[in-house]
Amino acid sequence: MLADSSVVVLALPQIYRELGTSVAGVTWVLVSFNLVMALAAVPAAHIARRVGPGRAAAVGLAVFAGASLACGASSTLATLIAARCVQALGGAAAVTAVLELLPAAVGSERRAAVLWAGAGATGAALGPAIGGILTELVSWQSIFLLQVPVAIAAAVPILAVAKHEASTRVMETELRPSGRPHVLANLALAMVSAAIAAALFLLVLLLIEGWGLTPIGAAIVVTVMPLSALLGSRLGPRVPSARARAAAGAILVSGGLGGLALLPKAEVVLTVPPQILIGIGLSLVLSALTETALSGRAPQAIHGGWTISARHAGVVIGLLALTPIFTADIAKQRNDAIDAGTAVVLDSKVNPLLKIELASKIVDRMEGERGRVPTIGPAFDPLPTDPTDRAAVVELRSDLQDQLDRGATHAFSPSFLLGALLGLLALIPIGLARRMDL
Amino acid sequence: MSAESRGKFLVGGAIVASLLLVAAYLAAGGASYTPAKTQDPCKHRPWRNPQGITEIAQQFSLSALDGAACQLGVSRETLARALASSADRQRFMDRYGINEEKLAKAIRAGLLRAIDDAEDAGALSPLLAVPLRESIQQIPLDQAIELVRDARSLLENVQSFLGPASGFLEQFLPEGLVP
Repeated sequence: MLADSSVVVLALPQIYRELGTSVAGVTWVLVSFNLVMALAAVPAAHIARRVGPGRAAAVGLAVFAGASLACGASSTLATLIAARCVQALGGAAAVTAVLELLPAAVGSERRAAVLWAGAGATGAALGPAIGGILTELVSWQSIFLLQVPVAIAAAVPILAVAKHEASTRVMETELRPSGRPHVLANLALAMVSAAIAAALFLLVLLLIEGWGLTPIGAAIVVTVMPLSALLGSRLGPRVPSARARAAAGAILVSGGLGGLALLPKAEVVLTVPPQILIGIGLSLVLSALTETALSGRAPQAIHGGWTISARHAGVVIGLLALTPIFTADIAKQRNDAIDAGTAVVLDSKVNPLLKIELASKIVDRMEGERGRVPTIGPAFDPLPTDPTDRAAVVELRSDLQDQLDRGATHAFSPSFLLGALLGLLALIPIGLARRMDL
Repeated sequence: MSAESRGKFLVGGAIVASLLLVAAYLAAGGASYTPAKTQDPCKHRPWRNPQGITEIAQQFSLSALDGAACQLGVSRETLARALASSADRQRFMDRYGINEEKLAKAIRAGLLRAIDDAEDAGALSPLLAVPLRESIQQIPLDQAIELVRDARSLLENVQSFLGPASGFLEQFLPEGLVP
């Protein structure tokens, strides 16, 4: 469930095409889930304390499984978004309740907080890769359908706890009033989550929609992030200061996003160094801030609820702030790239009659791409048989594709830069938190 | 190393790694990796020393596109795509609120500018340019568009285009243009 926000990211381009919606419309598949999670996490944690975390988790998992089935069966964007809202309700109940159950299972609240925070960071990083593989090998629906047996499997051990709760009633200690949430840690968590959402969402769209990679190809590329997050999770325990880990993580996420905003060429390998920084950074910052928000605070479910709420609110803010900028930029850059490409055709040495034929084919391809940056290669098939014409056409095709690649890559730059800024803004609450013993 | 030093080292390392990445990508041209800017069609573009009829025809078409695009307030590239087929032309006229009369006027203006440019480049004799200008004022839209798309037909068929005067005017054509 902690991976759910990111696992759907790689399926978005396919959902966008199959359900005939827009980039802004398909964003709501993510926004709806995160918004409901943000709103429901804290109330769900309170309910979990009243009815018992075992029962709350079991009911949450059942709702999540049922809604996942509905998501997989959706044939319209509206039903998919509605099912995603219900899925988030179940998810909020289960995730916050599980945090209340963890200390008993692992031996201490501190260890439970570390594990739970680590699961959140790993889920965020692993999600896109899993989603991409499932989308390509099976379908976008399979991402949701696979969550059904996973949720049922998770519910089995929890049912035993729920039965025990039913026979013993809720313990009095669970109902003691909860302390105030750690405002600065949660605020920083929201900002950095917005930046991470930008990194995951935009990078996947750039790879699939901009550079024409398949979902599985994009999944392989973005696997760099979870692998780097693993490295970050090994680095973290060596630095006891949560504030230093959080600051370093936020800086690395921003630096990585800055790198993605300044890609010097449309080449997959150039996304690797920024992804390494983002992966290490997200592991450091998410775990440091979550541990801080939970540290010494009881009950865990309520404070865990606040961190869930902050993280998902951050994702919503990130997506809602970035989508209009990104969609406007991609439309503008697409037109600029097409104009630049047409200029290349007009100024090329290709025979004039061939130019007219090519111009017509290029226009047809653009019309057929529905707002995407077009892949222009097929417009040049078959290549002319005359060697001079052939050489001129091959050169023209390469120049034209270069212009389109430039347009597609540049369209994402302002959004990546905004993401980097959000990551840097997280340094303000992290810095202020010094006096609050972060 | 103390816990505090390790924290400072981690933050310092993060800053250095981030700055190095951004600096490396900037140095590799990350800030200028954008589509080429299209030129203002109203600005004069000098001809590239035309050699032979095909190249003169290409330059003529480009000048004509520039002239027409300047009149219509669109880029040369947008107009070129609009002239690719009659359906593209209709879409273009609908999008920019242009009627056939306005389009024909702009294209004729573009052809006149192309004649001026050809004359300036020494690719067309002034004596031939004068009757060509006269003729272009009269031609219908479809024929004007055909001339923009492939000016070779204009240059190759001077005889039929200019009627009885063509025999006399042929002597003023550059060598490559003599049919």
